[in-house]
Amino acid sequence: MASVVETRATDLTGPIARTVDDPAERRSFADVAREQLDRLYGFCVRITNDPNDADDLVQETLLRGMRAYDDLRDASRAKGWLFAIATNASRDLFRARGRQVATVPFDTMDADGDDFSLFQTIAIEDPFPYSDELHLDFLRLFRDDDVRAVFGSITPAFRLPLILTVVHGFSCKEAAAILEVPLGTLLSRLHRGRKQLERGLWDYAVKNSLVTTTDEDER
Amino acid sequence: MIDCTEAVRRMWAYLEHELDAKPVAEFEFHLETCQRCCGELEFSRHLREVVAVGEGATQVPPELRSRIETLLAKADDTNRGTA
Repeated sequence: MASVVETRATDLTGPIARTVDDPAERRSFADVAREQLDRLYGFCVRITNDPNDADDLVQETLLRGMRAYDDLRDASRAKGWLFAIATNASRDLFRARGRQVATVPFDTMDADGDDFSLFQTIAIEDPFPYSDELHLDFLRLFRDDDVRAVFGSITPAFRLPLILTVVHGFSCKEAAAILEVPLGTLLSRLHRGRKQLERGLWDYAVKNSLVTTTDEDER
Repeated sequence: MIDCTEAVRRMWAYLEHELDAKPVAEFEFHLETCQRCCGELEFSRHLREVVAVGEGATQVPPELRSRIETLLAKADDTNRGTA
């Protein structure tokens, strides 16, 4: 594993809220919330994997945010601040309902999933023999719904780092702060999420007959 | 010197700009001599774009937006001291 700076970044008054707004120019909570609403809702849907729970979670997040807004020193960091509140609120929501986030484990995957390489699998299986852009053509098979279906099957602990960094553009340090884990843990989970994603995309493509595998060719 | 297994392991951290200087130098040195890893790095960039676009496009349903607007309007009123 590459060496990284090991940082515990749990203090939201630190990396996420560093500077202090000028009180005269400070935006209202409602304005900030409206600006972030679609992104926050999308995040809540991904956390819960359930539209009804996402509705409850986004409202609970906004209620908590409204109460704590005075503690946010820099409104330009509101997105990370709201996502952190949503992450915490989701834990309480699931605890209250006595459930874990639904996951679909990949049976064929070892604990780390490190064996599988989508890049190599595509090259070996060669699903588009006449293509000059074999790997890109594979990715072009996936519509937004397909990507969401694959994403939904990734273990939540590995999915959230992917969503925060790749989808929402947080740095790994910011994502670590939002999820309240050390940076090294975040990077490890990001790697495992990536491997589950790669495996999931390939399995999805095979299962839905988007590609034909060598085994099928030989039948 | 790092091998392909290690290069692949570092690839997304590299794209996230999360590696220290030494691992970056080792990774980039590996890329200079490994066409396969160059290809996988490019593929990783495209894969991340596909994920970002596919996962990012979510809009709040109208009914929920309406409930939230009511909630936020109350927050606005409270701020103005009219609640």
